[in-house]
Amino acid sequence: MIHKINLYDVTLRDGSHAISHQLSISQVDEYTKAIDTTGVYAIEVGHGNGLGASSVLVGQSQLSDEILIKTAKNNLQHTKLGIHVIPGFATIKKDIEKALSWGVDIVRVASHCTEADITERHLGYVREKGKEAYGLLMMSHMASPEILLDEAIKMQTYGAEAIVILDSAGSYLPDDVKARITLLSQNLNVPVGFHAHNNLGLGISNSLVAIEAGAQIIDGATKGFGAGAGNAQMEVLAAVLQKMNYKTNVDLYRLLDVADLVEKDLIKEPITISSLSIVSAIAGVFSGFSKHVKRIAKEFNVDPRDIFMELGKQKVVAGQEDTIIDIALKLQKRI
Amino acid sequence: MLTLTEKDISNLEKLKNKAILITGGSGFIGTWLIQLLIWLNDKYHFNVKLYLIARHATGALDTFIDSRQDIIFIQDDIRNIREFPKDIVYIIHAASSPDNRIYMSNPIESMNIITDGTKNTMENALLLEKLEKIVHLSSGQIYGTLDSHNITENDFGKLNCNSITAIYPEAKRYAETLVNAYRSLHKLPIVQVRPFSFIGPFMSLNKPWAINSFIRDVLKTKNIRILGNGKPIRSYMYPTDMALWILNMLANGKNGAAYNLGSDMGISLEEVALKIKNIVGSSVSIETLNMNDDCSEFVPNIDYARRELGLDIAVHIDDALLKSIQWFEKNLV
Repeated sequence: MIHKINLYDVTLRDGSHAISHQLSISQVDEYTKAIDTTGVYAIEVGHGNGLGASSVLVGQSQLSDEILIKTAKNNLQHTKLGIHVIPGFATIKKDIEKALSWGVDIVRVASHCTEADITERHLGYVREKGKEAYGLLMMSHMASPEILLDEAIKMQTYGAEAIVILDSAGSYLPDDVKARITLLSQNLNVPVGFHAHNNLGLGISNSLVAIEAGAQIIDGATKGFGAGAGNAQMEVLAAVLQKMNYKTNVDLYRLLDVADLVEKDLIKEPITISSLSIVSAIAGVFSGFSKHVKRIAKEFNVDPRDIFMELGKQKVVAGQEDTIIDIALKLQKRI
Repeated sequence: MLTLTEKDISNLEKLKNKAILITGGSGFIGTWLIQLLIWLNDKYHFNVKLYLIARHATGALDTFIDSRQDIIFIQDDIRNIREFPKDIVYIIHAASSPDNRIYMSNPIESMNIITDGTKNTMENALLLEKLEKIVHLSSGQIYGTLDSHNITENDFGKLNCNSITAIYPEAKRYAETLVNAYRSLHKLPIVQVRPFSFIGPFMSLNKPWAINSFIRDVLKTKNIRILGNGKPIRSYMYPTDMALWILNMLANGKNGAAYNLGSDMGISLEEVALKIKNIVGSSVSIETLNMNDDCSEFVPNIDYARRELGLDIAVHIDDALLKSIQWFEKNLV
């Protein structure tokens, strides 16, 4: 049976990484007005690392969570409003309670792929408030399919109504996606989703593999506007799915109009697969590290590719950006 | 609280003037057993002395333990108890939580409470000279992946012991086997009871089960979200029936027997949602998300308890939902 595919738009959240979290009110306003007419299931807004994450460590947002969420909500009649929550950055009392009061419909609670335990209270709270709660497993390439399944079952048990696995480093090959999505969709009672990054040019094709393997929620970003090499380009994905007769509820022309709008007003530099993005995927490091790596490599006069390879050896994850300087220093001394 | 017939009372005569131990007295089942037993004491002069063992006096239990002479609360972990009070005649071993969030997050500890807690209960029971019966509360989950609306006590499905979902049912299967080993070797008088699903007061609506979520969501947001297609069939027993059945199994259950405990009236999740809507009112919306094709059935056959012990369902699903919603409307924080 071919299920309906829910397209989940991360442009105004993952794309925040691409512009160092400097979204403006007019950009959010224009984009959300336009996306609401397209039939896309949900759109996410926020700092790249999610609710409550604006900080010196991972970058400060131009806009507060409150302004981002309220501006978006004000324009959304049809498309649901989602937020990304990493426990630790976001706390229930300080952040989630307020975000729900501002009109958030979907809370996607994310953890590193082997640490689903930390999502229990957050998922439980969101369910208790009657909102949609998803569980997200980040950096999922760092766990075997079997371990991912265990962690996904935990999130499902805590109340997650969907489980999305994130290829945060853009390092999956099609077979990696197939193995994981197949195992999850065959063993979970809730829908499975996939979030691609395009470091190896596989964002669309990996998303298709995920759908064929049973995924029902696919993340995308218009013009691929996301961290590093970007995400699966949503308007391309919508076109491919239309051609393959999948039901998405999306009006393709309207979505293409939104993509043109993004190209004109949102993107300063086109999202491309840079050499560094390819290296970060090979190293298995989160694409969001790119800007920091480039800056620090320049400062310490070392090869950023070497930094990425070393970060990969150390198996770093988002939130450990301060490791970059340590590595740059060591590399500098070696030189 | 509930109306008992003359037959109900006479069936429980054996418990009069006896000391009963409930392990895990602060849980949902323990709370209802205590409610029923103190009702029998107050209304029907049963003169039961009630020992409770629990790690914490939570919820409703907290309101009883200081005010009642017939309840002796022993605050301890069942694994640490070295000796039970000598006058105990009956034991209901209910220590362990079926909340799958707990055994997902603390799998080793959760298994250990069941395995070592059960072993310690049996070891202590061996020293009781007046002991007449132990009810071991197992779980309907030991039947594994059965897809049936007619699960008898002899039907066993698969359990994948390499899955994290097997933590609780595997531990409960082990506990049943262990308890039977004590019966075989030491001739302990044991009845196995396998609870299925319940709905009623004192239950936490935060438990990750569909019917609990439906009631919580309808009371908080007037919107019921059915994730799948609403077709899975389950059944729900009201806790007054549950408590009465357990006491009957304690008093009259056959040594060595296993009894299913639950309702055999299967109902789809969609029908449950509609019934809840009908009770709460037309302002309630039901959203069926159709995100899976699950049409599974998991309903016990309870003919054995009906036939052997003369038990039956007194509270049907409509009344169970009405009473539950009325209670949660007043008590939902």
